[in-house]
Amino acid sequence: MTPSRLWLQLETVAAWLLGILWALPLLYAFWAAFHPAAYAVKFDLAAPLTLANFIEAWTTAPFARYFVNTILYTTMTTALQFVLCTLAAYAFACHDWKGKDLVFSLILIQLMVMPDQLLVVNYQTMTALNLVDTIPAISLPYIASAFGVFLLRQNFKQVPIALAEAARVEGAGPLTILLKVYVPLSKAVYLAYGLVSISWHWNNFLWPLVITNSVTTRPITVGLSIFGSPENGVNFAIVSAGTLMSVAPLLIGFLLFQHQFVHSFMRAGIK
Amino acid sequence: MQIEVRGVSKRYGKVRAVGNASFSVEEGQLLVILGPSGCGKTTLLRLIAGLETVTSGTIHIAGREVTDLPPDKRNISMVFQSYALFPHLSVRENIIFGLKVRKVPGQEIERRLARVIDLLGLGDRLDSKPGELSGGMRQRVALGRAIIAEKPVTLMDEPLSNLDAKLRNSMRREICSLQRRLGIGMVYVTHDQIEAMTMADRIVLMRDGSIIQDDVPENFYEQPANTFVARFIGTPPMNIIPLCATTGGAALEPGGEILFPGIDGNRFKLGIRPENIRIAEQGRPAVVTGQEYLGSDTFIACEINGHELIVRTRGRKTMLEGTRVHLTWDPHTLCLFDAQTEQRLESLPPGRKEG
Repeated sequence: MTPSRLWLQLETVAAWLLGILWALPLLYAFWAAFHPAAYAVKFDLAAPLTLANFIEAWTTAPFARYFVNTILYTTMTTALQFVLCTLAAYAFACHDWKGKDLVFSLILIQLMVMPDQLLVVNYQTMTALNLVDTIPAISLPYIASAFGVFLLRQNFKQVPIALAEAARVEGAGPLTILLKVYVPLSKAVYLAYGLVSISWHWNNFLWPLVITNSVTTRPITVGLSIFGSPENGVNFAIVSAGTLMSVAPLLIGFLLFQHQFVHSFMRAGIK
Repeated sequence: MQIEVRGVSKRYGKVRAVGNASFSVEEGQLLVILGPSGCGKTTLLRLIAGLETVTSGTIHIAGREVTDLPPDKRNISMVFQSYALFPHLSVRENIIFGLKVRKVPGQEIERRLARVIDLLGLGDRLDSKPGELSGGMRQRVALGRAIIAEKPVTLMDEPLSNLDAKLRNSMRREICSLQRRLGIGMVYVTHDQIEAMTMADRIVLMRDGSIIQDDVPENFYEQPANTFVARFIGTPPMNIIPLCATTGGAALEPGGEILFPGIDGNRFKLGIRPENIRIAEQGRPAVVTGQEYLGSDTFIACEINGHELIVRTRGRKTMLEGTRVHLTWDPHTLCLFDAQTEQRLESLPPGRKEG
């Protein structure tokens, strides 16, 4: 056996080990959720399967409402990000104006600021806007995404300038050029960015926890943490069932769009 | 007059891209802007299109001043060097893009589309994306998009430079006949002198941002404005050799036979086209230094007094290097250029009949 083949096999083993380690919590959640509570810490292949945990979790906490909240919040955020980042990226990529570079560098600086650092300031802003404990309040701090502006700008810059000029000669105005040339040509990037954004906001926890305090606004991450907090008594089976329910849409989405997901994260990293 | 460019200049900071250019295009005329790369010809076209703004001067299109108007208000259509087809749209959508943007009614769009498809033979590729088409087909789509706009003027920026030689020849003819049939005014930018000579009703030759000569094609060949034009037009280019001063006039070599009596040879250069030189029994002695066989012609390189002269002969000729030959020509085919300014002299000083 040549050293390179040995190395390859070592790599394969390491990859499997890491993969299993990573998947373990999820696999455990599956195990605990589909078996009676008694088997939560006992592995027995003959254990009876049940859906009772899901039913109990669904009825004890307003998961349906949480889902609606999360869906509202993520779609709103992603949609607003698309609009705002598209317009900003267009201005940066295709138009010349005074101070463009300065403003763009300011936006890039935003990339380096952790959103958690702005928790207090954002809370103050939402209070001033009288939006505390509303779904828009969860979205607003994220819609001017520097990452989105940067990503789209890079992509718009790659569109040949002759296309925009051809459209101009044909009578298209700036907005028509954006909507009919730049946006359709960046479809792949929108898909990638949308996937990244949706999964990130679906999982977002800290800010929603701070800004929401009622059932009608709480997204599923916050709802789940309350549901699973020790004050309610820890029942691993039911908590696992609740967790599986909350991640199910993302999980299914990942399985469906696996290819695009992997590509989008790679693209987001490279470009 | 379809297009009139008057004293147009364009500067980028300190760099002068186009300087004081003036010319006009008559109705239904095909004008070629010719020049080496970097001479400002594309910039000039973009100024006419309105994709760049002039630093000074005025542009009139179809009798209206358009100097400060945006491209879409100038009554022009344009074909780009890269074709600039929208990759996400089908051939049909690419062609009718402008009509849809301008909100032309659907019936009218269909009528014009049918005509353009007919003209260009694109019928079976309407639903393809540009990426699925060959270079020639893409070129046709780009032409279609320009034609369907039915503007009085079409601007073309090196439209054939991305095609292979064979396709270029046939597209050249196609564009020409299309332009004649539709009677549109056309400004066509190219660096290819063959395109210019074959297609143009009129050529504007540029160099370093300035117009060197604005004339009909045959005059470019027969009466080049200066040595640059003489060497730019024609393959192989015109032979240009400095003359020598000799007692009594100008000759090709010191003490040689006098070609132009009574003029100071040091102040002039002689120009002669390769096909106007004949290899004969008598005449100017020269030495063969090389040859190129092209099938229909053979170019024979000769040397007189250290200066190279290319002679074009019909068919195949084998001449060994170092062979001594005699060259002869008709005096009226000679051009005389000022050695200092490089300008051609309008009237030839009376010469001596050769051979």
